[in-house]
Amino acid sequence: MTEVPKIVYDRLRAARPERALPDRALPERAGPERTHPDADLLTAFAEQALAATERDGVLEHLAFCGDCREVIALALPAADIVAAPIATETAVRATPVPAKSERNFLTAFAWPSLRWAALAAGVAVVASVLLVHPGKLNQATLPSVNRQVATTAPPVSAPQIAPSSTDQAAISARTSEARPKSESRLSKKLNAGEAVTPPPRAERGMLLAENKNHSGQADKLSAAPSAGVLFDAPTSPRTTETVEVSGAAAAEEVAPSAEDSLMAWNETPAIEKAKPALQEKEMKVNEQQKTQAAVVPGLARSQARAMMSSAKLASPASPALAHNVTWVIIAGVLQRSVDSGQSWQNVLRTDHPLLCYASHEEDVWAGGQAGTLFHSADGGTTWVQVQPSIKAQQLSSDVTHIDVRGDVRGDERGPAEIAISTSNNGIWSSADGGKTWEKK
Amino acid sequence: MPRPAQPGHGADVAAAFYERSGAAAYGVSTEQFAAILDEILCKYLSQNSAHDSARASAEQKADFCAGLRLEELALARACAAGNERAWQDFIARYRQKLHGMALHITRDGAHAAELADSLFADLYGVNARNGVRSSKLVFYTGRGSLEGWLRTVMAQEFINRYRTQKRTVSLEEQTEEGVQFRAAVPEPAGASDRLSQERLEAATDEALAELSSEDRFTLASYYLDGRTLAEIARTLGLHESSVSRRLDRLATGLRKRILAGLRLQGMSHAQAMEALETDVRDIGLNLRSRLTQDSGAKTFPEGKVPAQDAGKGSHD
Repeated sequence: MTEVPKIVYDRLRAARPERALPDRALPERAGPERTHPDADLLTAFAEQALAATERDGVLEHLAFCGDCREVIALALPAADIVAAPIATETAVRATPVPAKSERNFLTAFAWPSLRWAALAAGVAVVASVLLVHPGKLNQATLPSVNRQVATTAPPVSAPQIAPSSTDQAAISARTSEARPKSESRLSKKLNAGEAVTPPPRAERGMLLAENKNHSGQADKLSAAPSAGVLFDAPTSPRTTETVEVSGAAAAEEVAPSAEDSLMAWNETPAIEKAKPALQEKEMKVNEQQKTQAAVVPGLARSQARAMMSSAKLASPASPALAHNVTWVIIAGVLQRSVDSGQSWQNVLRTDHPLLCYASHEEDVWAGGQAGTLFHSADGGTTWVQVQPSIKAQQLSSDVTHIDVRGDVRGDERGPAEIAISTSNNGIWSSADGGKTWEKK
Repeated sequence: MPRPAQPGHGADVAAAFYERSGAAAYGVSTEQFAAILDEILCKYLSQNSAHDSARASAEQKADFCAGLRLEELALARACAAGNERAWQDFIARYRQKLHGMALHITRDGAHAAELADSLFADLYGVNARNGVRSSKLVFYTGRGSLEGWLRTVMAQEFINRYRTQKRTVSLEEQTEEGVQFRAAVPEPAGASDRLSQERLEAATDEALAELSSEDRFTLASYYLDGRTLAEIARTLGLHESSVSRRLDRLATGLRKRILAGLRLQGMSHAQAMEALETDVRDIGLNLRSRLTQDSGAKTFPEGKVPAQDAGKGSHD
């Protein structure tokens, strides 16, 4: 407590009325300014039962009379020490003492009680924020990641096929309508989220839902392979299929196996459903795409490669259709057609653009920049990355050519022989299906 | 402008008060109870209504009476009149409480019993004046609770007894209380110091005069009487924290006002500060000794106030 100057003590005491204490039980009858209040008034004052004017009069006397202050202090009930009256100054002056129940009610809402309630409320709010907000954050970050992916992937073919973009969008839309809704959304979302780090399967549905707004971009991206058609020949309608397969490829990144093999979903049935209805329209679109792409092949290729920069891999295929399989690399992506070129699917998309491939029956090899080499033993359904090396040297230059020769010994199929040509004129070969390598 | 009292209406109100008080159960008639109310009205409304109770309107009287503890008033007055049933009720309600009150005031079992018994005797009216038994309960007016009134009367009785006993304190007891260690009165100050002291007292008085009654009561209770925040808060019907904040505000404001007053009297800020602080050091011991005598200023015979006499004696 702040101390007052000692002179204040002195002057407060000096101002006391120098009077002997009279018989307090007797009421004073005259000279109120010079007499002490009677016991009734003091009692009523202590019980807050006096009117404002009377209270002020008693207070004025008490301010100067230490004797009466002492009487009041001694007469304070012991019980009140525990339950001190809680009220605001104005309330006390304006109203008489409330009944006991009312006083208890007031004290229940007084600050000493409320401060704990306020503390508890604050803790509850903080806890709820901590518990609820992280969940919201997780939900919010997912779409943001997808948006990032969607925007970082360059709109490859959009400039080249601008005149036909409307038709293509319509095609995509109609294709989406033709297939089951879930498949349509899956393909679009996954296509847009190609470079997304693998989400757990349980969140896939949420991812799809979050990506609804990006379906348009996904459709545009789906036109990328068609933009690269002029480089690797096949000019078949593949817009819709591209969407499906690339989406599935991205999804496959989610579930890496212990063998480092990458599985893909076979979306072929869905593609087949959509195909008849769109065939005529897609043919027209492809003709336009070919025309557009021929004008600026270099640009289209570079953009396509850029699109591949953050991509991984995928592959769908039905082994039953292996005899009809046709392979092609467009814009660094290995594509496969299981219907003699009627439709195409992305089966392998790597960090570095693929440059060449070789296949022998179900053995498929694909090589690309920076020593990229993948092998599929099941016609492109699963892929395993192979890293040729001898001693301390690894294959790091671009793979420009791959030659695969099967080793058939009677009914048994032996390991294939593989020869790889690199951009620095090196040749790597393996006689045991890629387990060991030699460099020439 | 006060409205004229309506006799019929006043009678109805008085009858209502009588019924509410339950005075009939103690053998108090309507007229007797009305006379009691008139006496109380005359006592309090006369002071509050320009010394003329007749000017108080019937409505004011009714409001005032409605605020009285009528049931307890009837009991007290019936006891004062010697009603057997009233005494039975009073004893049943308050006899035990009286001992508790006395124990709370005296904080000593033996003294508490003595004080309670003494007060009970006064309430019963053992002492007769002019052959008439006089009960203290006749002074109860119902402004506060009867229990609170009993506590107040007991506190007054305790203080009176304490003072009476203090007058007969032996020299050995004074020695035990440390009278011999009390500070001597400081040497008479020079003219400049006296002037400075007078200015300081005037500035302090002026600053104290600006305080409201409640603020001054709070200051005096805390700094002079040594009451706790809880006790002051209970007396004023406030919370302890409110009293604490008020005291801080008052202490700070007083210092500022005193300094400002000293500046107005021609002192520089440094001089004012010096006067305030110097006074604090000078008064310190003396004030403490005087505060200890606060409740017993008349405890010691005039010739036996040792501090002043001893101080003077040493310099003579």
